[in-house]
Amino acid sequence: MNCKRTRQLWELYRDSEGDAQLYLQVNEHLTGCPECTRWFDRQQSFEVDLAEKLREGTRNEELWAGIEAQLPATPRLISRRSTLILPLLGVAAAILVLVAAWQYMPAAEGNSELAERVSGCHERLVAGQEQLQFASRSDLEVEAYLKKRVAFPVRCPPRQDAGFEVRGGGVCSVGNSPVAYVHGLVGMNKVSVFILPLERLGEFSRDRDALQRAEIVHSRHGELETVLSAIDRNIVVVVGQESPKRLERVVRAYGTYPHTLPHDAT
Amino acid sequence: MPGDAEGRRERFIKHLKPLQGALESYCRRGVRRSSDADDILQNAVLKAFRDFDRYSEGTNFKAWIFKYLNLEILAGNRLLSRVMVGHLIPFDSLPMPAAADAACDMGSREMVDVPELVLDRCESELAGAIRDLSDAERSSLLLHAIGDFKYREIAEILEMPIGTVMSHLSRARRQLRERLSEWAQTQKRGAKRKPDSA
Repeated sequence: MNCKRTRQLWELYRDSEGDAQLYLQVNEHLTGCPECTRWFDRQQSFEVDLAEKLREGTRNEELWAGIEAQLPATPRLISRRSTLILPLLGVAAAILVLVAAWQYMPAAEGNSELAERVSGCHERLVAGQEQLQFASRSDLEVEAYLKKRVAFPVRCPPRQDAGFEVRGGGVCSVGNSPVAYVHGLVGMNKVSVFILPLERLGEFSRDRDALQRAEIVHSRHGELETVLSAIDRNIVVVVGQESPKRLERVVRAYGTYPHTLPHDAT
Repeated sequence: MPGDAEGRRERFIKHLKPLQGALESYCRRGVRRSSDADDILQNAVLKAFRDFDRYSEGTNFKAWIFKYLNLEILAGNRLLSRVMVGHLIPFDSLPMPAAADAACDMGSREMVDVPELVLDRCESELAGAIRDLSDAERSSLLLHAIGDFKYREIAEILEMPIGTVMSHLSRARRQLRERLSEWAQTQKRGAKRKPDSA
């Protein structure tokens, strides 16, 4: 494959939308072509910065409290302007904001037991004390590999457009039970995503309680930042020496399709 | 029954909660008049809640609710503009990837080298560039960048073939790069002229 053809394929490659053959061919070219590697890095960097820019801005708690307050009522759709003139609703919205702020904090800080347990595995992978069991830059291949290795549901790894570049995967154990992991890069930093079945959350009572209070739980173990969340039928822990914001983006990008849909590449 | 209604509401909010940030960003970037964003977002969520019984548990709620929001944004934008919707543009007239690639390579080099510097300072230009995209290009770009959707999901949300989504996304990316690149070059020229005029 020549440079022109490789660059024509960068969108498919970058968006993780190509098949395994495309990844092999593009990777083969990139390995021997530093100019194209730089070109791909520049495109990637722009896309990541653009996506961050487009997502910028804090969630308007008052707006969401107002919307949620109208949910039980219903069938009639009411314009927000007209609802704002109703003083009672304003008071209700203010109360809901306070309740939501306490009960539905989107992220919280804690000291995750599970994150602490899997951090050791991540450190061994980074130090080279443990080898990746399956090396691949294709999220589809890594997903297929993990599905064969563990009995519990595993969804596709976070994609490149969420800032995560997959490098492989494998299975380690926590408490004598298997834990699937995906290993890769966020920027220049090595990051691992550990995946367990949701049923195991009961083993980690502190994490279970934390996840009842917040959707995402951040914690820090030595030099490592960790982000924990329960996604569909999995517990997902992202570990790495990277900013909590970027790790949170990775955890949110874990799995795109529900288990009921096929995972064919298009 | 009140208990069922409450359970339905709780389930809806549980699905909705993690998506609120993305829905809000998507709405603010997608509407042509920013003052409409809150009303449009609210109407979309209320309509989705009204139809929540049609959603089957275990399927893709995120794509399901984004479809409502997208329809609401399109309806709102159409009230403001008579611009033809993007998917009415004949597919054959869209640029081939090679052309897009060449334009991207030449036009955006400076901007792509230091994207964060440009992106940090070009909010109004970026908003304008997004506003000037066709509806389908804008939706494809924002669903991909903000919603983290795969091509196939975007195709489902926008109800168009996956190849058309790819073309719209590619074209939107190229137009955005060209526009920001032009802006960056204008800024650079302006900065060079300033010392002389002083």
